[in-house]
Amino acid sequence: MAIDAKLVAALEAERGVEHTEELGLVSAESIKRYAAAVGDTNPLYTDSAHARARGHHDVLAPPNFIAAVITWGAGGAYARLREDGTEADTHLPGVPASGVRVMGGGEEMTFIAPVVAGTQLSRSTMLMTVTERASSQGPMLVVRYRDHYRDADGESLMQTIRTVLLR
Amino acid sequence: MSSGEPTQVREGFLPGAVLPPADHPTSTVQVFRYSAATWNTHRIHYDKDYAVAEGYPGVLVQSHLHGAFLATYCTDLLGEEGRLLELGLRVRRFAVAGEVLRVSATVTSVEHASADRVVVALALTESRCSDGETCVSGTARIEIPARWVQNGAGPGGSL
Repeated sequence: MAIDAKLVAALEAERGVEHTEELGLVSAESIKRYAAAVGDTNPLYTDSAHARARGHHDVLAPPNFIAAVITWGAGGAYARLREDGTEADTHLPGVPASGVRVMGGGEEMTFIAPVVAGTQLSRSTMLMTVTERASSQGPMLVVRYRDHYRDADGESLMQTIRTVLLR
Repeated sequence: MSSGEPTQVREGFLPGAVLPPADHPTSTVQVFRYSAATWNTHRIHYDKDYAVAEGYPGVLVQSHLHGAFLATYCTDLLGEEGRLLELGLRVRRFAVAGEVLRVSATVTSVEHASADRVVVALALTESRCSDGETCVSGTARIEIPARWVQNGAGPGGSL
């Protein structure tokens, strides 16, 4: 599949449709591992006692942690992974699993409230806009998605706008 | 790297000010561990043969790890009294594991949010130390105590 009317129609059908998923628990362990991987030694992320002394229930997640997790949960069986190793579910509603080249076009994160270890996280994803654009390598689509992250009480934690380029 | 303490640039929060850079030496071990911590199975980040076949000289730093370096830069500025409100970024060039990546920032605006808090907008850049190429460009909005900028501040409104 290339950039054609069928793909545009599939994307347009997703515009404004919200998909909500329960992502599961943000554990202190996962936060501490993430901070260690980044090399960030901020004690709010790495030291539960320090975070509690500052009035938090437990460690806080570094700002882009929840947006950076590619797979929440166990992930698919090996036979279901694609040639490049990625999961078949691309978290891009309207984009087919193969035949389209997907490139990152940037991310804009708005931090509403801190994500504390112990949070049960959900994410609502919605395709916002589809724009056709000419490029030197032929037609391209610019697609913007909004991810809204909330806790179990429905309180907003973070919102991110992801832009992907399809060719 | 972060210590949790704010970097000593408080007097520098004025429009046009260039803030001190921070270097992040990356490695294949770091990129592997970041993939593990985010459950990212993309071969481009750990399979060098695959990365070479895709046209890159080595395994690539994840776009979110680039983002994490910008986030760390901002939160190191803030300490525990400030707050990161927004962070936007776009990856423009790849970086191979092993590169040293330098984050630098310029203050683009400073505005009062209330009597004792100001919102500072930053233009951020992350570049490869090997050749100076810009890997990431970004913007951030941070909220900090007004007293941090009072040396250069006017009485209310835009500074």
